[in-house]
Amino acid sequence: MSESQSDTVQLIIPCRPEYVGVARLAVLGIASRMPFSYDEVEDVRLAVGEACTHAVERAGSSPSTIQITSTIGARALLIEVADNVPAGTEPSVPSEEAQNLAEAGVDQQGLGALLMEILVDEVKIDSSAAGTIVRLTKYAPD
Amino acid sequence: MNLTMNSRTPNETTCILEIEGEIDVYTSPQLKQDIVKLAEAGTKHLIINLSKVEYLDSTGLGVLIGGLKRFREKEGNLVLVGPGMRILRIFEITGLDKIFDIYATEEDAAAKEGVTL
Repeated sequence: MSESQSDTVQLIIPCRPEYVGVARLAVLGIASRMPFSYDEVEDVRLAVGEACTHAVERAGSSPSTIQITSTIGARALLIEVADNVPAGTEPSVPSEEAQNLAEAGVDQQGLGALLMEILVDEVKIDSSAAGTIVRLTKYAPD
Repeated sequence: MNLTMNSRTPNETTCILEIEGEIDVYTSPQLKQDIVKLAEAGTKHLIINLSKVEYLDSTGLGVLIGGLKRFREKEGNLVLVGPGMRILRIFEITGLDKIFDIYATEEDAAAKEGVTL
């Protein structure tokens, strides 16, 4: 791969729990194309898993999809996790887990977001009526 | 992408649950069901062996915290044993290593929790 070139890999999965593992497996292969350490590859895998989980939890039983676009560049790996779950349609009552976490002083959605923040270098989340896009960037080591 | 759970009950109020595989948004409801069942069956001390867990995400953490709360309310405890480096790191970066009692081995856990295996 030359300095300026970047390769793109796209994957579209149903926005359902049983497919999140499929996305993680694909990302494992994609992140392995970068000069990342084993731990860094695992970090990317978990961050993408959290982004997909966030989409799946908001989707509930509504039929939606997640499109994962990975751009393998010389300096960074950019992974966009885009769903078509409209913002504001998430269940209004928090799950039992979320309530338990809240009582333990932890916010569940915050936990997923916190993991993403720590595991990759940049996280940008854009929500709109069309859905949510989570952009995860992990820089290659110098 | 599977989760296998094996449980042993060394005595009436203690259960060791060994988990193998991935704990994620797909499999964590299965774990939750088992934890609830054990709590309702009168288990007071639940020792969860994580040494064969390869993946754990925020939903898995949520289920474990839910379980912890359930057991501590009954003056019991839910403790974790043998997480690998990757799994332990997830507890550390989320600060949950300070909420859970995490031990290296089942024997350590039993000794500290005052239960006999």
